[in-house]
Amino acid sequence: MSHQPVAVVGIGQTHHKKRRGDVSIAGLVREAASRALEDANMDWGDIDAVVLGKAPDLFEGVMKPEMFLADALGANGKPMFRVHTAGSVGGSTGIVGSHLVGAGRHKRVLSVAFEKQSEGNAQFALGGGKGGSIGAGGAFAPFIRAYIRRSGAPEDVGWKVAVKDRQNGAKNPYAHLKLADITIDKVRESPMMWDPLHFLESCPSSDGACAVVFTDEDGGKAASKPPAWVLATAMKSEPSTFAGRDPVSPLGAHMCSAEIYKQVGITNPREQIDCAELYVPFSWYEPMWLEAHDIAAPGDGWRMTADGDTELTGSFPVNMSGGVLSSNPIGASGLLRFAEAALQVRGQAGDHQVPDAKLALAQAYGANAQFFAMWAVGSSLDPLG
Amino acid sequence: MPRSESDIAIVGYAISPMLRRTDQTETMMMLPVVAGAIKSAGLTKDDIGFTVSGSCDYLSGQAFSFVSNVDAYGAWPPINESHVEMDGSFALYEAFVRLLQGDIDTAVAAGVGKNSNSDPSTLYTIEMDPYYLTPLGADPWSLHALQYRALLDSGKATERDVAELVARNRASAKENIHAQVSGDYDVDELLAADYIRTPLRRHDLPPITDGCAAVVLARGQKAYELCERPAWITGIDHRIEPHLPTLRDLTTSVSTTRAAKGAGLAAGPVEVAELHAPFSYQELILAESLGLGADTQINPSGGALAANPVMATGLIRMIEAAKQIIENGKRRTLAHTTSGPCLQQNLVAILEGDE
Amino acid sequence: MADVVRESVFRLQFPFQRTLGPTIGAFASALAEQTLIGVKVGDRVITPPLEYDPENGADAGTDFVRVGPKGTVTTWTWVPEPTHLHPLAHPFAFAFVLLDGADTPMFHAVNVGSVDDMRIGMRVEPRWRAEREGRIDDLEAFVPATDDGPSDGAGEPWVAPAELSVDHMEMDCDLTYVDNSAPATLIWMQALLDGKLLGQTCPACGRTYVGPRGLCCVDAIELDETHLVEVPDRGVVTNFTIITPTPYPGQTETEPFVRCSILLEGTDAVLNQQTVLEIPASEVRVGLHVECVWAPPEERNVDDVGNRGWGVGGDCMRGWRPTGQPDEPAENYVERMM
Repeated sequence: MSHQPVAVVGIGQTHHKKRRGDVSIAGLVREAASRALEDANMDWGDIDAVVLGKAPDLFEGVMKPEMFLADALGANGKPMFRVHTAGSVGGSTGIVGSHLVGAGRHKRVLSVAFEKQSEGNAQFALGGGKGGSIGAGGAFAPFIRAYIRRSGAPEDVGWKVAVKDRQNGAKNPYAHLKLADITIDKVRESPMMWDPLHFLESCPSSDGACAVVFTDEDGGKAASKPPAWVLATAMKSEPSTFAGRDPVSPLGAHMCSAEIYKQVGITNPREQIDCAELYVPFSWYEPMWLEAHDIAAPGDGWRMTADGDTELTGSFPVNMSGGVLSSNPIGASGLLRFAEAALQVRGQAGDHQVPDAKLALAQAYGANAQFFAMWAVGSSLDPLG
Repeated sequence: MPRSESDIAIVGYAISPMLRRTDQTETMMMLPVVAGAIKSAGLTKDDIGFTVSGSCDYLSGQAFSFVSNVDAYGAWPPINESHVEMDGSFALYEAFVRLLQGDIDTAVAAGVGKNSNSDPSTLYTIEMDPYYLTPLGADPWSLHALQYRALLDSGKATERDVAELVARNRASAKENIHAQVSGDYDVDELLAADYIRTPLRRHDLPPITDGCAAVVLARGQKAYELCERPAWITGIDHRIEPHLPTLRDLTTSVSTTRAAKGAGLAAGPVEVAELHAPFSYQELILAESLGLGADTQINPSGGALAANPVMATGLIRMIEAAKQIIENGKRRTLAHTTSGPCLQQNLVAILEGDE
Repeated sequence: MADVVRESVFRLQFPFQRTLGPTIGAFASALAEQTLIGVKVGDRVITPPLEYDPENGADAGTDFVRVGPKGTVTTWTWVPEPTHLHPLAHPFAFAFVLLDGADTPMFHAVNVGSVDDMRIGMRVEPRWRAEREGRIDDLEAFVPATDDGPSDGAGEPWVAPAELSVDHMEMDCDLTYVDNSAPATLIWMQALLDGKLLGQTCPACGRTYVGPRGLCCVDAIELDETHLVEVPDRGVVTNFTIITPTPYPGQTETEPFVRCSILLEGTDAVLNQQTVLEIPASEVRVGLHVECVWAPPEERNVDDVGNRGWGVGGDCMRGWRPTGQPDEPAENYVERMM
């Protein structure tokens, strides 16, 4: 047996901000969901099931918030599902939603992911409610130091990513940070937060939500706007800490993309994939993921960044939306990557559109760089054909 | 009925000891249970196509508490894995849907909760609407007492009916090696106990339990290779209702009725129903919403009143219903899970054995 | 000398800041003026108001109406022993109160002298707190109505001001957890009190985990006392970061601090998030030889050593200081982070 084709026919997101003081949590998720429904030319009643994803409940201080958000998301009388896979959760939320359609369980599914970081404090939550939290930056900085040494990359690679993603974000009307005038100098001179990471090489803390509507093959073909077809999905996990684990280029990351490439028939990702949205909360993760997903050869990821290949107009654009460096509603950040990849192959990405994108990759990762979620979407079911 | 490659069955399982207080972490509770479930199906960890668990950060008060639970799987080389902030029976649902993708034919679903670290009467106030209920300290005892009273006022049940139900579940639990609370209780003595929230008495509450459970699912022919008499999940569905209890008729459970319809309950009688009714009286609401008659035995395990490891209790209902088929030769059984205040969300699965 | 800690109490406290949006904000703003409102959704008035029709998710709009202030108890329960989270410190009732002009009841407290004073159908009215901040507990509780008459103004439209007086609320989370130390944690605690480092070596793969975890995460097998090994309290810094602390409730750090990974001599075991002593943060480097600085036995305690964060040294390991040996080549160590 094999699953049925799945189409993305609706995408919505909020305007991401440091603090969305104008909405409740319900208002935040409904803003994204309403936009996705409108994009899909659907109403709440057209949806058969809802999948909600978010990062730890300690971020907002509401336990299992899908319970109180059920009716806010029009789920009365419907199945409502809650996913939580750490930082990769937004990706998992998309994958689980697509599987519900692919398995023939439902015809139309709404996946929603959110974080309203301003309600609480992520450093507090990550520190277990105690002082001296090292935060995500403190956890990842050693991996980045190891990558720099391993690859021999010049120190300005991280700064270039920081500038490029913010310039892309400036083209994205929904992005939190719009730093069109950012420069390498400004990044270098920004405070050192988690040595070797500067403040401007780090993601912001955002309020935001993202929503995606999935349908089956008939629904995709009948959609009023071009659909994005879900060509492949994969989720991989590995333990956080043990001798011999490589957190810089995790085996799980390699396996996750290998599975995607196999499903789609990709033999040369660098050439065959038109663009990618990778989860880059700290600048150096761009070259690190390019290598860990075998888009670049080991030690060569930084060259793609340095040569401008990953710019919006480059040969392999990465994070056209501005990425996590421009908007980071944590639980939604993965689904935003997945949604942007879909926007690209639908030709709906506006000022950050990669011309004629037919095959796009999206990735999210979580915890100690140990959870991976990925999908590939295409403008047709056979974009390589 | 011949089974197809898209049919999925429970072929193995394991349940941890059900304890008021374990000295183990969630991860250490999971390790032997997940390994035990895999072994019961005659497999090793490297044979498993997908692994998914259900647990809750707020039970331990730690963000990302489930991350270290991956250590219990021996996830190296890396594995296909997911996690839900829901009962393990919803993890089973994700595994079920994952198997239907067709590329794998075995999966593990687990649920774990170390409930003894926290106080449910205060903890669950933050599961309620954060604007209208949490600031009032709306606790599960109070909300469920209100639901219980609504049931009494509807004339559908009396306090004696409910006390008899408690005595019956605790007596049934005597035969259940996984029961934490069991024994013979006198109904009049139960009725003489003080109210903790009128009309709710302490024996109407579930025990606080540390525990874990895991199942192995297999698809198609693989199920016959792993289990002599697989418990086929012929239907599974779940539904939710508006959150605020003030917006619902608390004397019935429309989401349970809908989930049962979606799971195909109507296709025939069920011999045993394992209902997740953490508050005693809920069993009556559920039985009525499912239309169960006298020919269906309810909760021979003692149900959630016998042991309530939140995040695994529903999955244990699934295991108990599967055991009736795998070990006791039953033909058709039902498993149910609830979540949220006053039966807000409900999952129903129909399990069947071959003729 | 201190003993191992078998149980530790942890209070999870945080002042969450909730923004309210147009509908809950309207309710909160009205509350501050001692007014209760609902929202008209189809042919129903829902109280307290929601932004959506709970039946189908459709936008509820902002067609607000006054409800109450009096209402009728439709069901109730008695709380004989309130917790610190409840609105009243003495016994009271929680009830569904159907406010005049509303079609759905509201959950709230009713303050009466005893359980015998409660009955379904009783008329109640709000008692407001003197200091109101626009939260549902500004209404301290309902109390028996002073007269039998209907509410004045119930059902009349209530128009939200262009700018709501209340747009956010604070919600203190205050939960207490009592965790007990797992067997592997107790072994680690005792070792720390004794001033030595212990690990467990997996019989299958040979990896050593310091401190003991009780399991091998690669092979998924349990490890116990029979797998214990003592490991040196000397090693080499393999990697580090200097963290600039950000302020948050409960934050204890104010100055940049170093956290490093240390590969223990002669083992494959790494201790993470360790502190380096005696040199400034700027001099911490990969390849640096260090040794553990133990607190004097009488000053040691393991109060902060829990089941999480393997290798946490409590107040036993003060940190690590350079031994003065020549550095190891960084490239041989920088990747040994775990």
